[in-house]
Amino acid sequence: MFVPHSNLDLNTIFDELDIKSLEQLFTHIPKDLLIENGLDVEDSLSELEATKYFQDIANKNTSNLVCFAGGGHYDVYLPPTVKSLTMRPEFMTSYTPYQAEISQGILQVLFEFQSLVCDLTEMELANASLYDGATSIAEAISVAINKTKRDNVVISHGFNPNSKQVVNTLIDSAKFNLNYVELDNYLFPEDYEFSEDDAAFVVSFPHYEGSAQDLTNLVSKAQSKGVVCICYVDPSMLGVLKTPGAMGFDIVVAEGQSIGTPLSFGGPTVGWFATKKDLARLVPGRIIGETIDNNHKKTYVMTLRAREQDIRREKASSNICTNQTLNAIGSAIHLSWMGPEGIYQVGYQAIQKASYMKTLLKEAGFTINNDESSLREFLVKTSIPASEVISLMGERGILAGIEYDKNQLLVALTEKRTKAEIDEFVFAFKEVNNG
Amino acid sequence: MVSGGNASSLPLVGGSTEPTIRELSRPGRRASKYPKLDVPEVEINHPAIKNEKAPLPEVSEHDLVMHYSRLAHRNFAVDLGFYPLGSCTMKYNPRFADFVASLDNFSNTHPAAPSEFTQGSLEILSILEKYLIEICGMDFASFQPPAGASGELTGLLIIKRYLENQKLEHKTDIIVPDSAHGTNPASAKMAGFNVVEVATDERGMVNIDDLRSLVNENTAGLMLTNPNTGGLFEEEIATISSIIHEAGGLLYYDGANLNAIVGVCRPGDMGFDIVHSNLHKTFATPHGGGGPGSGPVAVKSFLKEYLPGPIVVNNDGEYEWYIPKHSIGRMHGYHGNFLVALRALVYMKLLGKEGLDTLGSYAVLNARYLSSKVSKYLPLAFDEPCMHEFVATVKDLKKSHKIKAYDIGKALLDKGFHSPTIYFPLIIEEALMFEPTETQTVETLDDLAESIKLIIEELTAPGVNLSDYPKNLPVGRPNELIPAKHLTVHWGDFELLELTE
Repeated sequence: MFVPHSNLDLNTIFDELDIKSLEQLFTHIPKDLLIENGLDVEDSLSELEATKYFQDIANKNTSNLVCFAGGGHYDVYLPPTVKSLTMRPEFMTSYTPYQAEISQGILQVLFEFQSLVCDLTEMELANASLYDGATSIAEAISVAINKTKRDNVVISHGFNPNSKQVVNTLIDSAKFNLNYVELDNYLFPEDYEFSEDDAAFVVSFPHYEGSAQDLTNLVSKAQSKGVVCICYVDPSMLGVLKTPGAMGFDIVVAEGQSIGTPLSFGGPTVGWFATKKDLARLVPGRIIGETIDNNHKKTYVMTLRAREQDIRREKASSNICTNQTLNAIGSAIHLSWMGPEGIYQVGYQAIQKASYMKTLLKEAGFTINNDESSLREFLVKTSIPASEVISLMGERGILAGIEYDKNQLLVALTEKRTKAEIDEFVFAFKEVNNG
Repeated sequence: MVSGGNASSLPLVGGSTEPTIRELSRPGRRASKYPKLDVPEVEINHPAIKNEKAPLPEVSEHDLVMHYSRLAHRNFAVDLGFYPLGSCTMKYNPRFADFVASLDNFSNTHPAAPSEFTQGSLEILSILEKYLIEICGMDFASFQPPAGASGELTGLLIIKRYLENQKLEHKTDIIVPDSAHGTNPASAKMAGFNVVEVATDERGMVNIDDLRSLVNENTAGLMLTNPNTGGLFEEEIATISSIIHEAGGLLYYDGANLNAIVGVCRPGDMGFDIVHSNLHKTFATPHGGGGPGSGPVAVKSFLKEYLPGPIVVNNDGEYEWYIPKHSIGRMHGYHGNFLVALRALVYMKLLGKEGLDTLGSYAVLNARYLSSKVSKYLPLAFDEPCMHEFVATVKDLKKSHKIKAYDIGKALLDKGFHSPTIYFPLIIEEALMFEPTETQTVETLDDLAESIKLIIEELTAPGVNLSDYPKNLPVGRPNELIPAKHLTVHWGDFELLELTE
């Protein structure tokens, strides 16, 4: 399958190589290493058979759950226009744009992606993508450590627990101290005192719990001690939220799924990474720059290549090579499709819908733990274990949220959720909690 | 007329510069439309909210579609022509796999949905694990790593954690061949190891004497790809394996070149303890212009409990997530690049036993054929039978005509081919590394060799200006110095002046 050779072709090749069988290709490999009777796998499927095979497995996932889960990945409307442009084969089946002359398409879209990310976050320089939000946080911390040569990291506890686990894996605890700071009433304590041993202040905006605060003062306090300030932002809320740049952050990272990528069971998505220009040399991953060709025509190329692993080897700013270009392309096209008014609606309607839902839940006697400080996502107390609520709501066709702890459910709204769906949620939620 | 393999025309054409989407923006235009708010509107007063709108472009949907379609037209791709790009395995990516990956139940599942609602997705990972460990000769796998470099780092962190548990913290050296991919030393450094480079011998393989001299009680492990980056099978792999194992180190297999040996031999049988595979190379998932990939890591049983988790286990017919006891932790926010893994499984199911048993053989057959043809015009770096790729050198032409590997690569672009990988491996002077993959026809391979012949004739003619090549593409050779010194990485007017090392 997918090998094009006919018997005639094989004769041509065998003649050129003066061999009579495929086995003769491997006479230099020690015999005891060669596989004897082939691999223990099943026979091939035709596409028709495979359609049924995979459709049957897909059907074992519960279909059409109305999604109230967030935690970094959001069920934002993704227009078919964005999907079909992103999946154009010229984007999808191309390699990394090392050969600029035949890669201007990818290079220009990535240049636009970088520019759009900078404009949206009010930063100066973005890279061409990292793996996902969680790994981007770790990469940003590495930049801060390299910049400051300090070994203490002040990191908010208000992150998705999975993201914290990724940071714990990727930042060497033998060398660096990850100082997790508890939120105070769902906000990062405004009176926190930074020290001159701190390399980084890492905070999520909004916090994982859904609460948000203006971080301007904390950032300026941290920066007065020479601390690099890192903001992990929910990009689909940037139509309404203050920008990390306006709050003074040095580095912005994001889980970019909600801009241009379907939920995808969490991958592939895309990590955004943007910073100030003075950190340019420390940025991980690829950066696209504008130049001219030999005829003075505007041309895009990969630039600042001396940071990267294929040139710098063990001295590289990161080991990243393959990134998430296609998803970054999706982000660029989706941002352009939304425009200022569209991304405003995405954020504004999510907050309005959350507000409506919180009101209904409170009227039904439930407690919203972070009612006032939360925006599109919030914590609601459950009367039975949150994991049971999720199971029971699932039977009613609703993915109710994420288990935050035993009796708290993290619920997220997007512009996609309708009043009817919210009403249905609250009705079901009352029933399952009251058993 | 040589024409880019089977393509009857050159795939890309020149033309005037495409404006940026910012330049196409006009106030008041828009592509998006959202429903009217259907809940009672309340006043929102929150300190985190701004008053002004985000400064995104304002374009009509038609302008947007034309813009990105025109940009797509300026990009070479596997669907347009031949990428003989060594080390990258740019084979045909079956469309059918994209169809399966876009099934709603796979593509629209939230990653935090509990396993009771995602049995299908977990089953996909479980079946794929079975295929992968059979192909690699390993026992268990984790799909957390989203790319090859992340897989490498995963493998090294497993070695580190394993040695710590064995109270062997003094083992801090990772041995890497001087011909290795840059990600190898970069990953080893990130994992906190010392990088020790082992030399390549005259035949192009690991220098066994040098290896013996470097191995000692501090040896934590060896990173190796087999076939190596010169496209040669490391015939002494059994010796290499016992040298490392006897010193108490582990063997890590860089799966970059796995395509050469699928169905032929298995890393697990060669003595490797940890293997990462690049599903986006060997198993035909699209590269997407640089990503996404997927770099699952497979291990022998004794390392199962160190895998990054959670991994999928089957408990009485029910698939569940399981966090290995000594897990190195997470490498990804959720389950790795699931939809890439799914495409890889689709590919494996379409190939089946007959296709997988012969996959490596046909990849090697095409490379052997192409090397035979190309060697008529350019000398090969090693006088050994190649596996799925081979390295030629332009050093003679450089001496006689100042023609570099770079120039051959650029001239090939004009003929409708992607350039081979240039200047890699680093140990070969003026290297051109070719990897045809098993999905190219004889005529395409012949055309590439013929094009090289024509290019050499053309470039060695008197009065040729090498920097004029390529001539028939949307842009000519870029000036790579300007952006490094005068950095423009944003469409606004800021420039970073006078950046120096």
